Amino acid sequence: MFAYIVRRIAQSFIVLLAVSLICFAIFQFMGDPVLTLAGRYATQAQQDQVRKTLGLDRPFYTQYFSFIANAIRGDFGLSYVTQVPVLRLIFERLPASIELAITAMFLSLFLGITLGVVSSLKPHSLGSRVIMTGSLFGISLPTFLVGILLILVLAVSLRALPPFGRGRVIKVIGNWRTGFVTIDGLRHLILPALTLGMYQLAVLLRLTRGGMLEALQEDYTRTAWAKGLSQRIVMFKHALRNVLIPVVTIAGLQMGELIAFSIVTESIFQWPGSGNLLLTSIYETDHPVIVAYVMITALIVLTINIFIDILYGILNPKISYD
Amino acid sequence: MIRRLLQSKLLSHYVRDLSAVVGSVILLIVLFGAIFAPLIAPQDPYDPKILSLQDSLTPPIWMKGGQAPFLLGADDQGRDILSTILYGCRTSFFVGSSVILIAGTIGVTVGLLAAFYSGILDAVTMRIADTFFSFSTTLMAMLLLGIFKGGGIPLVILAIVIADWVRYARTMRGSVLGVKEDDYIQAARACGGSNLRIMIRHILPNAIPPILVVAAVDFGAVVMLEATLSFLGVGVPINKPSLGMMISLGKNYIYAGKWWLIIFPGIALISIVLGINLLADWLREELNPRLGQRQQ
Amino acid sequence: MKRIPLLVMMGILIFGLVGVLSVSGVAKDTIVVAVGAPPQTMNPHGSDSDCNLGVVANIFEGLLQRDTGGTLLPALATSWERVNELTWRFHLRQGVKFHNGNDFTWEDVKYTMERLRIPYPVSEFLAFGGLIVSIETVEGNPWIIDIVTTTPTSYFDQNLHQVFIMDKESTESRSTGEIGEYPIGTGAYKFVEWIKGSYLKLEANEDYWDGPPSVKYAELRPVTEPSTRVAAIATGEVDILQDIPVELFDIVAKNANLEVVTRPARRSIWLGLRNEPGFPTSDIRVRKAMYMAINEDEIIEKVMFGHAFPCTQIPDPPTVGYDASIERLPYNPEMAKQLLAEAGYPDGFKIKFTGPNDRYVRDEQIAQALASQLAKVGIEVELDTKPKAVYFPEMDEHGLDFYLLGWFDGSYDFGRSFTKLLHSVDAEAGFGGLNGSSYKSIALDRLLEASAEIVDPALRGETLRLLNKVAMQEKIAIIPLHYQEDSYAVYKGRGISFTPRSDTWIVFKEMSIK
Repeated sequence: MFAYIVRRIAQSFIVLLAVSLICFAIFQFMGDPVLTLAGRYATQAQQDQVRKTLGLDRPFYTQYFSFIANAIRGDFGLSYVTQVPVLRLIFERLPASIELAITAMFLSLFLGITLGVVSSLKPHSLGSRVIMTGSLFGISLPTFLVGILLILVLAVSLRALPPFGRGRVIKVIGNWRTGFVTIDGLRHLILPALTLGMYQLAVLLRLTRGGMLEALQEDYTRTAWAKGLSQRIVMFKHALRNVLIPVVTIAGLQMGELIAFSIVTESIFQWPGSGNLLLTSIYETDHPVIVAYVMITALIVLTINIFIDILYGILNPKISYD
Repeated sequence: MIRRLLQSKLLSHYVRDLSAVVGSVILLIVLFGAIFAPLIAPQDPYDPKILSLQDSLTPPIWMKGGQAPFLLGADDQGRDILSTILYGCRTSFFVGSSVILIAGTIGVTVGLLAAFYSGILDAVTMRIADTFFSFSTTLMAMLLLGIFKGGGIPLVILAIVIADWVRYARTMRGSVLGVKEDDYIQAARACGGSNLRIMIRHILPNAIPPILVVAAVDFGAVVMLEATLSFLGVGVPINKPSLGMMISLGKNYIYAGKWWLIIFPGIALISIVLGINLLADWLREELNPRLGQRQQ
Repeated sequence: MKRIPLLVMMGILIFGLVGVLSVSGVAKDTIVVAVGAPPQTMNPHGSDSDCNLGVVANIFEGLLQRDTGGTLLPALATSWERVNELTWRFHLRQGVKFHNGNDFTWEDVKYTMERLRIPYPVSEFLAFGGLIVSIETVEGNPWIIDIVTTTPTSYFDQNLHQVFIMDKESTESRSTGEIGEYPIGTGAYKFVEWIKGSYLKLEANEDYWDGPPSVKYAELRPVTEPSTRVAAIATGEVDILQDIPVELFDIVAKNANLEVVTRPARRSIWLGLRNEPGFPTSDIRVRKAMYMAINEDEIIEKVMFGHAFPCTQIPDPPTVGYDASIERLPYNPEMAKQLLAEAGYPDGFKIKFTGPNDRYVRDEQIAQALASQLAKVGIEVELDTKPKAVYFPEMDEHGLDFYLLGWFDGSYDFGRSFTKLLHSVDAEAGFGGLNGSSYKSIALDRLLEASAEIVDPALRGETLRLLNKVAMQEKIAIIPLHYQEDSYAVYKGRGISFTPRSDTWIVFKEMSIK
């Protein structure tokens, strides 16, 4: 087990290095950073001076190593556009993204599993059919369309919920501002969280339902079913627990998707998170921000993957780590 | 292969499965519209010569101010919405099928080779695949297109292919590993069949059904992805038709009550994805022996 | 069944917390303004775009300032004069303090003017900084300084409202990142907090030399999405909205809670065309044909929803060099086709159009409309629209064939505009910096150079008018489209008094709450 974890971490480290190399290559070859850094009106001589000051005239590998050394210290340089340290720019926005992602994740896990279980109990009832049709739409609607439709119906037509932004936020510590503790903040959270969670919800619902249907067919469950109510509950719990392992694993592995869709959601709701920042930076070709965002995302995704692997091993003793 | 499909009573099940019929009918309607768009569309919405600003924002024909030939209204450049949708669906189908063909071919080949030869090749490709996978197709395509701008539809296809091929490679590898040690493969090998021959004649056909399911689901995902990328402004360029772009444009008028700019392209997009997902569901149940048994 | 009380308890806890924390409502001493374009940096020389200057102007001040109508007034200088062709004299204001407590001295002015010339960390005032030869005190009096320029620059003072004075000590001692994020100026407002993309919070400077401003707290929120901007003001989340999206104008105007304020914008939108020999557009007949093929009235009606005014030239009426007698070529596609045939293009030609898609009102839609109108006389336009952050650097390389630009001159001087926009490119001399297609007319260059040597303002104005007229009517140096309309919505019933500025800056010290 221990050896396995070490190996996983080592692998992730190599992946991170690969990602950083690709990022750095992009940074180097996609447009000359000096053109942007020296300002639009700089002459050739002034540009050369800036190139020298920043060490951009050194060979590729030297620059790559100093890039890595700086990145390890959390220094990704200055944003071309705002001239502000990139990492601070991203960290400032991260709380908003994390709050949105957690809420969406919670919504989709809670509703997805509940509805999945409900629809598996009487798979042919009307309610189950409605849920299944709904889930089919859930996986067939692109996130951006869900967001637009929610705004169109709930914000524009019914005026029930605010269509954009984060509402009132309250500073907790440092850069962490939360929208969880104000009514305004919570109201602002509903539509984007629903939008972001919708696809996941449908996926998890279908997974849970499929798993439950299968588990409930097994002999031991059938026996328990026959033996009476209390036994039924016990076995039901047993079945559910078996189903939950893959469901939670999938939910965790979908973290990358969640991050991707949060970019879309943040853009539609003008949510001041890091996804929105990435999109703006893409439009503005602010490469340092894009590179730092990718590196941080890679770090988050890889860390979560390792945790899930370990968790999976603990939950499911049948897996052996050789 | 065909015999196998027939043996699984595909056709008779298909007719009995209502959702599959509904799915394919929807899909066929949209596909027909997309293929014959130049013939049936009232106008070519991307020919600047025939657009007129005078028609801009015409509402659907049954509403006050609606006028022929703008059945579903017109957008702010005076493009007929119905025509733009038909041409947009063309883009959706073109991108969708190009991606599953290219990514599928690459992925199947890589997966097959990796599983067949295992060892270092397998370890390296699967490590790459894992990395790609954890980043999500959407995020990768978004980043690729964000960095390499302005390549038009071919670049959109390329970016999605780069992000997407691992899906096929993993599936292929999984099913090849499943059949590799089967007796008949061993038998073929004992008879002195070459590796290539074994792979193509014996392993490939057995591993194809799960790939078909993946491809079907993936087609819907790619169509959604193209729309999303175009919606965000990193996909199809402004002067090419795309459902995502239409919705992005309509978003500006969301408070102006010009709902037709969003709703109609939205319906078209949902129809494609829903249609293919219904089909994919059916295909999955048919080709997955375990689930199939349960049904009987 | 055990879990339910826990849930209830958690619920009570959360809502209790919400209740407690939401008691403190929105303070009445705050004005919140939503703007379309976010400020990019707090480094006051880091961006020369009006959306950035107009925001940092609350925190920093120049030697001079402008009122809402554009009149030049004293600020950190109490008075100024042009001593001779090259020398400008300024009497500095005494007793002014920077927000960090440092005194404002002539050293700060000298430091600032010299900083303009340094390309890294980013100055977008390189050309202006390059004009300055020396900054010295007069007879040792630290409150009177002379600034000497390299060439006679009649508009030198006209630019000083946007050259913001920085504190020498704190600027030298801090890193670029900090300077870009935590500004220290002498302005009426102190910096509080800037969450990029969300808001910029400012607080009244109680020690301001002109007395503390009337509004205690000011907040600026960038809302880039047009439809979201409308939602922001409709729900009352912001007090003032800048740039009502034209496509949603009627909705805002009909809203009983909102008051709409408009004024013709100073900014003109126009098209640049390459005139290098060999290009179709180097033929004057082709330039005229393109001009006549564009139906500007239709663009204003359908693309701008009536919220724009046709223009005949680049400058607006108050600018030196504006000529009211210039007229638009009439819209006449038939004549356009004829002119194209005469020029040897009976079947038209292909041309690449480059333009921004996030800079001017409906820029991308204008581009598409142009493509459609030009297609009708046979000119096939290949559209290439891109974000401003990509477009402008590309424009600086002077290699575009056909492009769209919006322009207003902060210094009210067509001579300066011409030098930047249409003078043949000469990087060393600082000419043609924004000449996107390397437009070149020796006759026009000569006229401009002649005007630069004239000291008498009336005669100089006359020469610039002539330059303008020749450029627009004889050379068709550009194709003018329209002036935009500046628009604002103010939430009624909050006692907010607000007057829009001609330069579209958001200056909080000019606002008040009753």
